[in-house]
Amino acid sequence: MGRGTLEKLKAILQGELSATENVQQALNRIKELDKKIKAFIELNPNALAEAEAIDRKLKRGERVGKLAGLTIGIKSNINVKGLRATCASRTLENYVSPYDAEVIRRVREAGGIIVGMNNMDEFACGSSGETSAFGPTENPAVLGRIPGGSSSGSAAAIAAGMCDLCLGTDTGGAIRNPASHCGVVGIRPTQGLVPAHGLIELAVSFDQIGPLAPDVYGAALMLETIAGHNPNECTSLDSPSANYSDKLGIGIENIRVGTSPKFSELADSAVMEVIDGAVEKLHDLGAEVVEVELPNLEKSLSAYYVIMSAEFFSATRKFDGRKYGRRIEEVCGDEVLRRIKCGDYISRKDQHDRYYKRALQVRTLMRREFGEALNKVDVIVGPTVPKLPHKLGTKLSPAEMYAYDYLTSPISLAGICAGVIKAGEASGIPVGLQVQGKVLGEGTVLRVMRALEAAK
Amino acid sequence: MKMKIGFEVHEQLATKRKLCCDCPTDYREAPPNTNVCPICTAMPGAKPMPPNVRAVDAVIELALMLGCDVVVDKPIYIQRKHYDYPDLPAGYQHSSTPIGINGELVGVRIREVHLEEDPGAYDPVAGTVDFNRCGIPLVEIVTEPDMHSPEEARRFLRQLMLVLDYSGKVRPEPGTLRADTNISLEGGTRVEIKNINSTKGAYRAVKFEVMRQKALIERGAVIPYETRAYLESQMITVPMRMKVVDFHVILDPDIFPIVIDRARVETIRKRMVEAPHQREQRLAKQYQISQAVAGVIVSERELANLFEAVAKEVDPKLVATWFQTNLKKVLNYMKLRATEVKFTHKQLAGLLRMVKAKRITPEQGELVLRKLVKQPAEPEELIRKLGLERLEKADLRAAVVRTIEENPKAVMDYRAGRKEALNFLAGKVMKFTRGRADPREILKFLRAKLKEKKKRRVSRRTKRSK
Repeated sequence: MGRGTLEKLKAILQGELSATENVQQALNRIKELDKKIKAFIELNPNALAEAEAIDRKLKRGERVGKLAGLTIGIKSNINVKGLRATCASRTLENYVSPYDAEVIRRVREAGGIIVGMNNMDEFACGSSGETSAFGPTENPAVLGRIPGGSSSGSAAAIAAGMCDLCLGTDTGGAIRNPASHCGVVGIRPTQGLVPAHGLIELAVSFDQIGPLAPDVYGAALMLETIAGHNPNECTSLDSPSANYSDKLGIGIENIRVGTSPKFSELADSAVMEVIDGAVEKLHDLGAEVVEVELPNLEKSLSAYYVIMSAEFFSATRKFDGRKYGRRIEEVCGDEVLRRIKCGDYISRKDQHDRYYKRALQVRTLMRREFGEALNKVDVIVGPTVPKLPHKLGTKLSPAEMYAYDYLTSPISLAGICAGVIKAGEASGIPVGLQVQGKVLGEGTVLRVMRALEAAK
Repeated sequence: MKMKIGFEVHEQLATKRKLCCDCPTDYREAPPNTNVCPICTAMPGAKPMPPNVRAVDAVIELALMLGCDVVVDKPIYIQRKHYDYPDLPAGYQHSSTPIGINGELVGVRIREVHLEEDPGAYDPVAGTVDFNRCGIPLVEIVTEPDMHSPEEARRFLRQLMLVLDYSGKVRPEPGTLRADTNISLEGGTRVEIKNINSTKGAYRAVKFEVMRQKALIERGAVIPYETRAYLESQMITVPMRMKVVDFHVILDPDIFPIVIDRARVETIRKRMVEAPHQREQRLAKQYQISQAVAGVIVSERELANLFEAVAKEVDPKLVATWFQTNLKKVLNYMKLRATEVKFTHKQLAGLLRMVKAKRITPEQGELVLRKLVKQPAEPEELIRKLGLERLEKADLRAAVVRTIEENPKAVMDYRAGRKEALNFLAGKVMKFTRGRADPREILKFLRAKLKEKKKRRVSRRTKRSK
C-alpha cells in the first residue's frame, strides 16, 4: 500500500507485484483492521483464485483489462453473483445475488478482483454510516468520528488502505459525503452515465453508481471502466465512451471556476475556511474564479427527501416477506421505517399534488438553475458537507442528520456530476471540496480535482 | 329500472417477448417459473428494459380500430400501481397513461386504451405462484358507462372480442380475457365486479348484480360502494376480500415516457386490419348485400377474407347467400372455424360458378361443399367422384316417364287433386336419377308430363265417345 493507483497498476503489469500478492495484502489488511473499522460485511472467498487467473494471463502475455489485479470493494447494495447483497439490512441478510450487476460485469471484464462487500447505511438510508444492521463503520481518518454515508464502508476501506478502489452509490450525496469525511476521492457521475442494472434502489431516479478511490487517477480509471451506454436499460444515457485517465494532467489554465455566496450561508465557517483555501489554490493554478447565482439552493433538500421517500416506499414493496426473508417493516431500523412511512403518506392519492408534484417542480428548478450557472463557468466548486462529522454515537435528530445533505442533494436533483477531493483539514478532520460539473462534464471535473491533488 | 354499465377489459397481447424483459411469453407450454429472469421477477436491483415496441404498436393499432385518437407528441408515462399480493413480485404493476382516448364501438364510448403488465398466477390453495405470466403485456380498454342492460353489455363485449380477434394482436387462446365491470342502478351506488373471464360470464354477473341491487333498493337498503368478485362456478358475486384503497400511483422513475409521433400512427393505420364493424358497413355497401348478411360474413375475419376473395370471381349476391346459409351451416355442423378450412377461395369460387351456370343444383352444390370442407379438391373432380354430373334433358324426361308408369296410384291421387302426391313422385325421380337432377326441374317436367297425359287421355275418351 502507500503507492498511488497508477504505480500499483504499473507494478502489476510489469510483474513487480503479482495480483495474488496484491489480493493477499488487501486480505491481510482487512483482517488486521476491520474488526475495528467495520468496512466489510462479507469477503469474496474466490478472490485469490481470481487473482491467480489474472497472474496466469499476465505470465502468458495475454491482454488484461484496465483494472488488472486491482482489489475492489463493492457496496452491499450492488449485486455480485454468489455474494450477499444485504443492503446492510436484516431484510436481505441471507440474500445471495443470483446475477451480476452491469457494473460488476464490466469490473470483472477489466480484470478487477472483487475482495468483498462493503458496509453501508441500511438500504442507503443515512448520512453517517451508523444505521447498518451490522454495526456502524469507523472513520479511519479520524477515529471516533463517523465516516459519513451511506457509502461508509467503501470510503473507510479506501481511507484504511484495505483495497485499491471501491464502487459506492450516490443518491443524495452518499459517495461524496463519506469521501469528504474520510479524505478520499469520490465521483457522482451524471445521471444515466453508469448503468444501474443490479443496483438495489434507494430512489431510482437519483441513484448513481460511482467510484471511491485514494487518488484522482484511480477514480478516473474506475469511472471509465463502468461508464457507458447499456442498451438494455431505459434510463442509460446513449453517450460515447470516454477516456478520463489519459487527460488528467492537462492543467486548469483558463478554466472558469464558479463559487456561490450561498455556500458560506449554509456551511460552517470551519469548513468554509478550508474550502476558501482550496479555491484560492485553484486561482493560483491558473483558473479564473467567478461568482455564480444559485438562488434556490436550499430548497432542494426537502424536495429531495420527498421524492426519495416516495420512490423508496415503492422500491421496498417487493420486500414483502414472501421472497426474501422477513417483511422489511418488521425488521428494519428506525430510519428505513421512517422513510417508508413518509413515502407511503406522500404517494397517497390525496397527498400527491401537495408534496410529490411540488417536489418534482423543485427538481426542474434545480436543473434549470444549475444549467444556467454552468453556462457561465466550467465547474462550480464549494463545500461537500456543511458540517464536520460528528462523534460516533452522538444522538442527532432526523432533521440534523438530513442537513448533512444540504449541499450534495442539489446536484442529485439537477442530474449533473460532481467529484470530491480532500481540500485540507479542519482540526485534523478532512474536508472535501465538491467540484460540480456539467452534464457529462466528468472529464473537466476530474482535471480540476487532479490539479488540486498535484499541487499538494 | 334504469342502469349504467361500464367495462374495463384486459387482454394479453400476442407479443413474443414480455413488456420489459426478453423472456418468452409462451407461458402455457413452459413448466412453472421457467420463463423468468431477474427483471420480470423483480429481483432486488433489476432494472426494466425499454418497453417492447411491438406491444406499444399493438395498443396503438387496437386504439385505432376502436376509433380512438392516439395520444401523439406527448409523453405517455409508465406508472407504478402498488398493491400487496403474492402474484406481484415487485409490489407494483406497470400501467401506462392513456395511449388512445375518445373512441367508440357499437354506440359505446371508449374512454381510454392503455398498456399494462400481467401479474403472475397465484394458486391460493397450493400456496404457489408461477411467474411465467408475469410481465406479459396487456391491453386495457376502459368504456364509459354507456350500456343500459345485461343484453347490451353482452352485445358490446361480443363485438369487442370480435375486434380484438380481428386485430390478431391479442392471444387467441380462450381464457385470456379479464374484465371488470361497474354497475349502478338508478337510486343506487356504483359497484365494481372483478374476476369476469368470458362474455357469458359478464352477462351472468351483470344479470345477477342487477337483481341483487334491485332487491336491495326495493327493500330500501343502501348499496355500499364496494368491489365484488364474480364466482363463475356459482354464477353469483360476493364481496372481495382484498380491498385496494389507494394504489399509491407514481410515475415509474425507471422508464422514460413513451412519445408516439404522428408518422408512427399513420404507418400503423396504413397496414392495420379493418375493424369488423367497419368492414360490415363496407361489405354491405360495396357488394350490395344486406347488413344482416354482412354481419354474418364478418363474424370471423377469415370468413370475411374468403368472402371477398370469392366475391371477386362470382356474383357477390350469390356468394353472400351461400356464405350466410350453406357455408355457415356446413361449418357449424362440422364445428369448424373459418381459419381451419383448407380449401382455396378458387375452389369455392369454381363450385359457385357451376351453381350459377346451373351445371349443378344448389343441393348438389351443398354436397360438394361438404366434401370440399372435409377433403379439399377441385370441384370438377368432386362432382365426378360424387356422380353428380348433371342429367341430360332426355334422360330426365325418360326418368319422369318411367316413374309415372311405375306409380299409377300416385298419379291417380295427384289427378284426384292430392298435390302432395307430386312430391312423392318427385322423390321417386330423384332416387331414380341418384340426385343428379335439379328438383325444380323434376317438378317442372313432372307437372308438364302429368298434364300432357291427362290431356291425351281426355282426347282419347273424347274419341271413344264419338
